[in-house]
Amino acid sequence: MNLIDVYINEVTRRLPEKNREDIGLELRSTIEDMLPEDSTEQDIKVVLNNLGNPAVLASNYSEKPMHLIGPRYYDVYVSLLKMILPIAAVVAIISLLAENIFNYNEDQAFLSVALMVLGKGIWLIIEVFIQTFFWLTIVFAIIERVDNTKDLNPLSFNGKKWTPEDLKSVAHVPRKKAVSNGYVFFSLLWTAIWVTVYFNADHLLGVYQKGENGLQFVMPALNQPILNAYWPVVIICVVLEVALALFMLFKKQWTKNIALLNVVKELVGTISVIVIITNVAIFNQEFIVYMSDLLNLNENAITGYIQWLTIIVYPIFAIWNCIDGYLKAKIN
Amino acid sequence: MSNLLDSLTTELRRGTLTLAVLSQLQTKQYGYSLVQLLEQSGISIEQSTLYPLLRRLEKQELVESLWDTTESRPRKYYVLTDFGIEIYEKLKTEWLVNSKQLYDLLKGE
Repeated sequence: MNLIDVYINEVTRRLPEKNREDIGLELRSTIEDMLPEDSTEQDIKVVLNNLGNPAVLASNYSEKPMHLIGPRYYDVYVSLLKMILPIAAVVAIISLLAENIFNYNEDQAFLSVALMVLGKGIWLIIEVFIQTFFWLTIVFAIIERVDNTKDLNPLSFNGKKWTPEDLKSVAHVPRKKAVSNGYVFFSLLWTAIWVTVYFNADHLLGVYQKGENGLQFVMPALNQPILNAYWPVVIICVVLEVALALFMLFKKQWTKNIALLNVVKELVGTISVIVIITNVAIFNQEFIVYMSDLLNLNENAITGYIQWLTIIVYPIFAIWNCIDGYLKAKIN
Repeated sequence: MSNLLDSLTTELRRGTLTLAVLSQLQTKQYGYSLVQLLEQSGISIEQSTLYPLLRRLEKQELVESLWDTTESRPRKYYVLTDFGIEIYEKLKTEWLVNSKQLYDLLKGE
């Protein structure tokens, strides 16, 4: 009898609580039906062998899938993975390179730094791949289990059943309207570059003088702690830029929504730049004094020129960029 | 090759199991009696498939069950509901039409 108890327990422990008792009772009565009177252990083994692996029996009872990601989501999952993995790797590598280039210390031999970066890079790519793979898989495994529609048709990218209408979004996009992967790549690269420069401004932007070993950095133009204090603004701008880049990557062409997001990005960017530049404290006083001596102007005029130049020039480019977006979106 | 044949055969049979089970539940049956009935007709079915299938049919309201405790050991009996009968008749027609079509197709080879 003991074997039967263990078998039933092996099945029911894999089932939801509410079904355990009923299925257990039914299994027991079935097993007893199949056994002759005065059964031996050998008889029991034959019967249990007929019922098969308890894990399989339990999985047949429970209607949860025995796979992580089923045919319904597999195609979308793989496509997303192919799309995200290279981007994640590129972004990681760019930030690694940026970090090492800007923190490059001339005492170190170039070769040893290059080798270290190469080693770190390989490791970083592996890490990024594992992370991306892990999180995307988790998300899809959850979707697979939460989705209780009976529909088993594979999904297309917009989350609906495929129709011939979908071909229109695949079909040829006019070249001027299209957004190439290269464009997305360079806009992400640009984001990585300006963020790195922003947070390392105190040893990148400033006065350089010719010294014994080529150019030497003598004084920073900006006040790094004040710049750093604006980090939430920077984060918002980065999020908007990355969101726009990814959105473009998906759509592969300019649309009204992308143009609109582009306007939002430019608007937020312009406001941020103006807010930051009008704070006089961001300028390094030493630098302002140096410049006023050099140009023979008073100190307020120097900051004033820099501020007004930024406030006028930056929005012109921003507005041009917004209009350009809408013009491209309008192309049919 | 025999592996492939096996898996194709299983695939062919899988869809017909529900129909076979429904056909035998016009009178009330318990699990093991159903296995015996099906085996007598030459239909072999994995028991690990059959019992869960019965529960699924019950959930879909095609069959209803009741525990009979009057005999020496309690047994759970299953029988078609009115809805089950209706569905069974439709499936049966569907199967007969299909198998006739396939038969003609195979004959004409």
